[in-house]
Amino acid sequence: MAGLSAVLLKDLKLELRSGQSTIALVALSLLILVVLVFALGNEGVRGPEGAAGALWVALVFAGTVGATKALLAEGENGCLRGLVISPVDRATLFAAKMMAAAIFMAIAEIAAVALMVLFFNLEFDARLARIVPILALGIVGFAALATLLAAVSGRTRAADLLMPILAVPMFVPALIAGVKASAGVLAGRPLSGLQAWLGILVAFDIIFVVSGYLLFEQVARED
Amino acid sequence: MNFGYLFAAYSVIFVVIFLYVLFLWRRQAALEQELTALEDRFRALTEKGGAPRAKVRKV
Amino acid sequence: MKRALTTGLGASGSALLLAALGMVFLYVPTEATQGIVQRIFYFHVPCAWIAFVSFALVAICGIFYLWLDQQVWDDLGYAAAEVGMVFCTLVLITGSLWAKPIWGAWWTWDSRLTTTLILWLLYGGYLMLRAMSEDTAQVARYAAVVGIVAALDVPVIVVSVRLWRTIHPAVLVTRQGGHGLEDPRMVATLLVSIAAFTLFAAWLLMLRFATLRTRTRLNELARHLALNELSRRGEE
Repeated sequence: MAGLSAVLLKDLKLELRSGQSTIALVALSLLILVVLVFALGNEGVRGPEGAAGALWVALVFAGTVGATKALLAEGENGCLRGLVISPVDRATLFAAKMMAAAIFMAIAEIAAVALMVLFFNLEFDARLARIVPILALGIVGFAALATLLAAVSGRTRAADLLMPILAVPMFVPALIAGVKASAGVLAGRPLSGLQAWLGILVAFDIIFVVSGYLLFEQVARED
Repeated sequence: MNFGYLFAAYSVIFVVIFLYVLFLWRRQAALEQELTALEDRFRALTEKGGAPRAKVRKV
Repeated sequence: MKRALTTGLGASGSALLLAALGMVFLYVPTEATQGIVQRIFYFHVPCAWIAFVSFALVAICGIFYLWLDQQVWDDLGYAAAEVGMVFCTLVLITGSLWAKPIWGAWWTWDSRLTTTLILWLLYGGYLMLRAMSEDTAQVARYAAVVGIVAALDVPVIVVSVRLWRTIHPAVLVTRQGGHGLEDPRMVATLLVSIAAFTLFAAWLLMLRFATLRTRTRLNELARHLALNELSRRGEE
């Protein structure tokens, strides 16, 4: 536990000191929403479907950039090697890195939700509260997946390119379920009517958190 | 009759498999070239004197 | 022994493939509703079967590699991913050529099509990972992890895509009610074709596996040779 909070606090402190990647992630989310409004045209897309889609596109991109940065930053100056040989075991390292990625993604998503309400002419009401658990499930799943895959692609050529190529197809089930559930909630349906989609999100999270926790050892090991 | 689609599908299957075999064959050739280069280096090493020391582990 | 097995697989696979081809064009009766295009089915389904088996093999090899740490498993997994990718590509192309005359579109977001496409992207990523990195034990472990995680993801993909399609208003509801294999000759043709593809794909797998084994040995040899050259230079 001590190791977990030490690594997590280190990442958060580093971020608090500069604040650079948080600002970059929020700016990226904003830009993605603007691009999508332009790309989808003015009319017809302002409904819940379009808004939910925009939100999840922002999540995927912010997550990709966030996780790559969180792990690649360690790669510089041999910091990852330092972490790996530290007494913190690798599974804990995975948990800490995953949580850091999830926190950064959550910040970016809060900004994205606020902007979505403005750009898509929605209201700040109970529907937004109901979207929180859906987004939280998506963030946890993507953070786990991205942390594992960022470590995998970290020491290959063109790591920043390979990470999304591996992560996005794997994220497809959560993306489908997340967009559908978010669109349903934004259209005013209660969460109880979206159980199938929530079930898929939960299953996805369990698979990737558990397999990441177990397999990170293999990935972080050095010969 | 749609015969064109049927013909296209079966030709694609055989063309793709043929291309893959060709690709395999080319990689095999590249490996053989690599082997020749290694053999040359090995010969140069042994001519300088004695057999190489470190044992080659079988994998 | 190994060579005989490979040659046997190649010969029997090719012979059966010719027999299957003959059955498809000369023996099997034309399906009533879809007409002549339905004959794509007899080669399309075996390709899908090979692709799925290969991808399962990638995950199994990944597990064995992480467990036993033997290079053989990595080589076999790599070979399986490549062969699976070849046949997955064929599934997508022949499926598209079938869909155009039957459904009137090259591509529909049908659940099976979508799942196959995502599988193709997943294992494309796996192969890109291998292509973009060196042949080290670390990369072999990365690939094993990706292969295992991808296979774990497959059931969730299947469920989510199926649910996505049924809830989505379907543009093309009619999924050609089964494949109409009423005639025993159709079943026989399909079985021969599946057997032919299995043998033929096993042959391709063996070929690729053999080149990967050779590559592993060459890498090992090159390393030791370099070590020897260095130590010799040190003595001089």
